[in-house]
Amino acid sequence: MVDFDVIVVGSGMSGGWVAKELAERGFKVGVIERGRDTQPAKDYTDFVDPWDTPNLDWTSDKDRENYPIQSEVYAFNQNTKQYWVKDNVHPYETPEGQDYKWRRGYHKGGRSIMWGRQSYRFSEIDFEANKKEGVGIDWPVRYADIKPWYDYVEKFAGISGSMEGLEILPDGIFQPAHDLTCAEVEFKNKVEATFPGRKVIPGRAANLTEPTEEQIALGRGKCQARSLCERGCSYGAYFSSVAATLPAAERTGNMTLIPDTAVHSVIHDAETGRLTGVNTFNMKTNEASTLTARVIFLNAGTIPTSMILLNSATSDHPNGMANSSGQLGRNLMDHVAGARGYGIMPGFQDKYHYGRRPNGFYIPRFRNHTESGEGYLRGYGYQGRIFRGNWRGSARGAGVGAAFKKQNRTPGPWVMGMVAFAEILPDERNRVTLHASKTDKWGFPIPVIDQKHRENEVKLIKQATRDTRAMLEAAGLVDIDTDNPDEIAAENMSPPGNGIHEMGTARMGRDPQTSVLNKWNQSWDVPNLFITDGSFMTSAGCQNPSLGYMAFSARAADHAAKLMKDGVI
Amino acid sequence: MTDIHLNRRKALQGLLAISAAGAIAACGNNSAETVEAKALGETEFASFKGFFSNEEMALLTALSDTIIPATDTPGAVDAGVPETLQSLATQWGDENYRRYWRQGVQNLSRELPGFPSASKEQQLEALGAYDAKVFAGQVEDGFYRDMKRTISSAYYMSEPGATQELAYEAVPGEWRGCVPLSDYPKTWAT
Repeated sequence: MVDFDVIVVGSGMSGGWVAKELAERGFKVGVIERGRDTQPAKDYTDFVDPWDTPNLDWTSDKDRENYPIQSEVYAFNQNTKQYWVKDNVHPYETPEGQDYKWRRGYHKGGRSIMWGRQSYRFSEIDFEANKKEGVGIDWPVRYADIKPWYDYVEKFAGISGSMEGLEILPDGIFQPAHDLTCAEVEFKNKVEATFPGRKVIPGRAANLTEPTEEQIALGRGKCQARSLCERGCSYGAYFSSVAATLPAAERTGNMTLIPDTAVHSVIHDAETGRLTGVNTFNMKTNEASTLTARVIFLNAGTIPTSMILLNSATSDHPNGMANSSGQLGRNLMDHVAGARGYGIMPGFQDKYHYGRRPNGFYIPRFRNHTESGEGYLRGYGYQGRIFRGNWRGSARGAGVGAAFKKQNRTPGPWVMGMVAFAEILPDERNRVTLHASKTDKWGFPIPVIDQKHRENEVKLIKQATRDTRAMLEAAGLVDIDTDNPDEIAAENMSPPGNGIHEMGTARMGRDPQTSVLNKWNQSWDVPNLFITDGSFMTSAGCQNPSLGYMAFSARAADHAAKLMKDGVI
Repeated sequence: MTDIHLNRRKALQGLLAISAAGAIAACGNNSAETVEAKALGETEFASFKGFFSNEEMALLTALSDTIIPATDTPGAVDAGVPETLQSLATQWGDENYRRYWRQGVQNLSRELPGFPSASKEQQLEALGAYDAKVFAGQVEDGFYRDMKRTISSAYYMSEPGATQELAYEAVPGEWRGCVPLSDYPKTWAT
């Protein structure tokens, strides 16, 4: 007798989906979460006003000591630090002279609480690229395989966006888009007129602008335009596993959440060639235990999932479980953020915006698509916004007294900020391994993360930087600030990990010799093991990846359910 | 990148409402000798309820009141800004921060002699002249700029500053990307 039909390791973006899909199909699901059981009433801080936020919301030296890596994240502040790991408790290493920024949180919901909510589909162009260009290995699926699952998860999650008919960024099932600001409309018109191959569109975000009955039934409500999402949303108005998938799983009565419990390794039965369960460790009591199931889904996050399988080496599987290809832990990818641009859009002094949009504009990839790319593969998309400046800008200027108050009470100019997210190519040299001797305080080996930007990434960011400036100039912005493309090098680019889109270390493919997973996110080596966190990604695209993790998770869970019903696993 | 480049970027990021905390926190002089920092910090610190002495608080209060006076809405003093400055130095800052503030305040008390006891008109005139010199680049006083930003943050993040002087909507309910300024003439506090 096993403890569960299915064990899901991790309760975040992808694990929540697996739990929901399998619980709804009648399977008993145990969701193992290494962190605490997030309690919205206690943990969410979305009703804290500025005057109740300690110390003007400044990060303290103590914060920097406890969270040297996490405290650098844009979404780390005095109202969100409960969601980020204390780096001194969760160490990792990088090779000498290299940097890797691993941004993460350990609690029910994982980074689905703090994520940026940008939700984009891969296109056929993305799924075909590796094969066409001879990079890495071919994806074992095409857009047509995934399209129904994108539809499926978008309907449930709730994505706001506009129908654009773009080949590079397929449309989906959208709730109404967030308006562009007046200055953004001007930017859009001028960029699109100057560069006919480029589009400036409203960002596609997992914020409910017109909740469905299904969403309302789960206790989710309409986005209130507060833009405090990373604090957790008491309205459940953006997608997180805490607001959406886990409650859906819970109401079936088939899900059990097991918090404060880390999975060290999987347990393999050499006779059957299957997994029988997982070795767990209680983070509070340090008690070791095992949990058993027919099927195991790993959704711990790309790096922890690799660690679990590498930790599961046996004499028959000396390189780790599910690693006969030798690809486990390799091909670590992310998106490079760079090519930032700032400037001021003149005019529109008689206009303003109301509410706070938790979203921006998006410029889908145009390089190596509608426009050529000289000497590099793939491309990048941009995210940005143009809002009127507030007191934080004007209070930096001259003046005292009533006149100073008046200038701070008057909205400032329309200020633009935008940033490119560029594709990182899969490269076997970018990898995660277990440290040979160092462990964390629970005795788990710590990861060594070895990822570097290579020639293609550098060329992309150089070109993106030129494109940023050209677009800002074409749109008539003034006081433009961009980097100098000639000074950009791998060493001064945003370090790997900083895109917070780590993925690729258990890639799916068509051949068991070169990939870890088959086209159903199922291990080639161990048929009752599935991986649907970012590990499965065969290439990174330049789109924010979470929506894809959701779609592949729902699809893999559906497939596993069929195999279980048929008695195959 | 050149310094001008960086400064402009900082300014633009400021306009984008990105918190200035990092910049301000980095202003402490890390090369300071610990001994001096201690002399300036801990010994005096122990003898008062907070880090700043009564004399220092009198100056900081007068400066806050002059930079953001009460008008048709409450000013910095009504909004508790001096207390926030005291609390930041006492509870939030480290030795570098305290040293930086003590030296900065002492310097300002030399630059603006008799400031706390001067009339409001005299205060406005004296500080207006000093502020103009700093922002014209005639006087180098990075502390003054930081102090002014801190006073501004403490005021505009306070309840009176956010809700009476500026416009604050905890729950806007909806987003509209382009509305007439005449309908919403005051800067949003957040």
